[in-house]
Amino acid sequence: MDLNSTQKNKLNNIISYTLAILTVLAFMVFIVLRQATDFSFAPYSEYTSLISKGFLNTIIVSIISLLGSLVLGFILYLLSKSKIKYFNAIVDVFTEIIYGTPLLVLIIISAFLIGPAFNTYNRIVMGTIALIIYMSPYMKNVFKSAFSSISEEQYMAMDLFGFTSYQKYRYIIIPQVIRILMPPMMNNFSLIIKGSALLNVLSFNELYYNILLAQYGSFAYVEGYILMWVLYLIITIPLSQFSKLVERKWSL
Amino acid sequence: MKLELKNLSHTYEVEVLHDLTFELNKYKSIAIIGVSGSGKSTLIRIMSGMEKPTNGDVFINEMNVNEEAYKKKVGFVFQNHNLFPHLSLLRNITLVLEKTRGKTKVEAEAMALKYLNLLHLHDQTHKLPKNVSGGQAQRASIARALSIDPDIIFLDEPTSSLDPILTHEVLTAVEELRDSGKEFIFVTHVLSFVRDFADYVIFMYDGKIYEHGLPVMLDEPKTNELKEFMKKVR
Repeated sequence: MDLNSTQKNKLNNIISYTLAILTVLAFMVFIVLRQATDFSFAPYSEYTSLISKGFLNTIIVSIISLLGSLVLGFILYLLSKSKIKYFNAIVDVFTEIIYGTPLLVLIIISAFLIGPAFNTYNRIVMGTIALIIYMSPYMKNVFKSAFSSISEEQYMAMDLFGFTSYQKYRYIIIPQVIRILMPPMMNNFSLIIKGSALLNVLSFNELYYNILLAQYGSFAYVEGYILMWVLYLIITIPLSQFSKLVERKWSL
Repeated sequence: MKLELKNLSHTYEVEVLHDLTFELNKYKSIAIIGVSGSGKSTLIRIMSGMEKPTNGDVFINEMNVNEEAYKKKVGFVFQNHNLFPHLSLLRNITLVLEKTRGKTKVEAEAMALKYLNLLHLHDQTHKLPKNVSGGQAQRASIARALSIDPDIIFLDEPTSSLDPILTHEVLTAVEELRDSGKEFIFVTHVLSFVRDFADYVIFMYDGKIYEHGLPVMLDEPKTNELKEFMKKVR
């Protein structure tokens, strides 16, 4: 059989990735076999609805946090670009504090200290807000790099042709920014999904917490953690693959 | 065209154009030459109305270049094609025509195709700028500048990022426009192109006009600066 070099490359790729996945699976199986003699997911069959509810809640709270952090991140970006020095300083100080804070600490402080200070005792809402706040400086950076990738000369050309401000944004700036912004935004989305597991400390019924509950009932701890791991990967891996696809298709 | 510079100076961090006063009439294709940093790109940007001078005025065909009406009659070709990277070559042109010149979709497309054909790009129209060669992108950029039917076309070192073969390809395309009725002001380092295409040459050095005259002046430089320049640029 004659193969040209691209086909060979492709075949080589497929073999390599299959082997890599098998290696990781073998490692997981080894870990599992070391833990329990009678490994079985059967005890979890009665918790299906609890777990799928958690799965759904994780997705919902992540999407809300994504949208929230996009909005807050954009506001931070605008403030960092403002001519008013005070606004720039606020963004810098805020960013520095968030960068230095573990997400878990931020969630607890906002649910148990900041919320009550404003007479808000809804811990789920405060936890989600913490996640939004935590991600917003990262989203600010995404906006910053996306907008800065539009060159000075493109703005000159827009001016020379006589586009109105609205037309500049509608037809030239925003379509480019969205293309550039998508891959890093998806990466942040993945961070949000993983970060949302920490909301379990507020007894929020997301995936991590609901599997904990199922574990208390079934006593199948090993299987529970494996299930948890796999379910997170089921969300995050397609997302990162999709993000790579977008990057390939949309790059400028 | 009639070109008038009146006490023109321009400052970024330092002054790059020093009090230029200059008048020229009746030439249709003016080349500006000089080493990098001599102020020629700044001058061409000011003459196109794209940048406002710190001091002084520029009039082209009796019009102040800062007037909005003047900008509508100007086409500009940048060093690096500067097409909008997310739009196809065709859309780069139709967007401008539809949104800023009030053409309908059908009219815009017909005009865009006309100019893309003129620049020999008929089989590349639906490609993105990143998917065509540098020479093709630069020719598309020239098509875009032509499509708004400008009176004057400015070219700012249109081949500086191209290899010799692509440079030849682009400059040949420009030379074919000689009889288009347009007027040209351009900056370039390609002296053969200056000799072929310009009917007047301005030599700049250190923010001043050192020599100017018909293209034959390149063969008999009067100043040492032009002599040196001619030695370095062939």
